[in-house]
Amino acid sequence: MTNWVLACDTAEIDEEDLIRFDHEDKTYAIYNTDNGFFATAGYCTHEVQHLEDGLVIGNVIECPLHQGRFEISSGKALSAPVCEDLVTFPVKVEGDQVYIQIV
Amino acid sequence: MSDYQATNAASSGISVPKKNLKALMRRSDKPGLIWLAQWAAFLLITGYGVYLSIGTVWHWPAMFLYGIFLTVPSYALSHECAHGSAFRTRGLNEALLWISSVLYYEEPNHRRFAHARHHTYTWIEGKDAQMPFATPMNFKGWLLEITGWALYVYETRLFIRNALGKFDAEVLDYTPASELGKLKWGARICLAIYAALIGMAAVGIMWPLWFIIIPRLLGAPVMLLFTLIQHVEMQENDVNICKSTRSFSSNWLGRFLYMNMNFHIEHHLYPMVPFHQLESLNAEIKDQIPQPDPGFIRTNLEVLQVVWRRSMGGSTQAASIRQAPHMINTPEVQEMS
Ligand code: FES
Repeated sequence: MTNWVLACDTAEIDEEDLIRFDHEDKTYAIYNTDNGFFATAGYCTHEVQHLEDGLVIGNVIECPLHQGRFEISSGKALSAPVCEDLVTFPVKVEGDQVYIQIV
Repeated sequence: MSDYQATNAASSGISVPKKNLKALMRRSDKPGLIWLAQWAAFLLITGYGVYLSIGTVWHWPAMFLYGIFLTVPSYALSHECAHGSAFRTRGLNEALLWISSVLYYEEPNHRRFAHARHHTYTWIEGKDAQMPFATPMNFKGWLLEITGWALYVYETRLFIRNALGKFDAEVLDYTPASELGKLKWGARICLAIYAALIGMAAVGIMWPLWFIIIPRLLGAPVMLLFTLIQHVEMQENDVNICKSTRSFSSNWLGRFLYMNMNFHIEHHLYPMVPFHQLESLNAEIKDQIPQPDPGFIRTNLEVLQVVWRRSMGGSTQAASIRQAPHMINTPEVQEMS
């Protein structure tokens, strides 16, 4: 069963930035990029570091702990020390609200 | 991992407004390329001195001077490229990570993963993958460290074991399984390069000896004096970077050679901030962090005095540099206890 969950208002995320979203026992990262809003799992796949203080560069999120990089739209691991991809989640924007679809 | 706490700004109680931090973290190729051009110029000038001095009494001092400009920046560049922050262009970071790490004597993939673990657990015993000496340090430990002996023994063993695919438990702990093949082949390539350089010297082709091998060995103590003071005499097993790490004042030459890593507390708090922004980061947080210790020479002299006196059973109170309380031991305190 899939489930659309209200994550935040669009205005809550600066351009080229991300915020942390905790829901039930899971943590997500919600991004505002040039290409729209995206969502991924909140923690880096290398070690246990939340991505919220990371740097968004175009379609890339750089992890704040060791600067591993992921493609935001696909979650693909781009550069070591990250090797494992991030899980991504569908996003929809309705009005000024951002929803993510979680399983 | 419920007890996980990375050693960084959050665990040290330091904060910077997100907008300011983002501006400081921004990547650029230009400062790194300018630094590279300056490094090349220094190497050309001091290397020309080596060339002119061949066959004279000045040859060894010339190789020492050139060796400082070869070795310290190699280490610094390898470090900055392992963070992927020296340049905006990833290919430049990767290529220079290889060149500089080979010069510095560490396999580049290992460099990256071991250094990542150093940042996760800075100066935490048993967890920091780059905690090279026992603490508190004594004179013998100091000597093994600054001559480069400890580094050569450790890295040579690692090169051979990794090249054979016989990875140490700690290597397996901090290296993702999917990257072990890169470690193995990286070590093999490095060993082949080193063997070629030594082989050339052995058959009478002397330039690798005069311009790489001997200068690298002569420059190592200066490089290691820079790295030594980053954490020596500071607090182990504390997640607070302000207690475990030392920043020190530096003139322009020290900052150039070491790519601003004299701002070492700043770097550990926010490893995302590239070398060329560390001075600005310092301006942003200097009210929240300890004052830097004195410059490279004075800090090292005080460390040397402390480790010498520790070995002789004397007071280990340094004149002015920061020390963790348990590093300070006075004979009076011993008598009272
Ligand atoms: S925890 Fe993200 S790159 Fe290491």
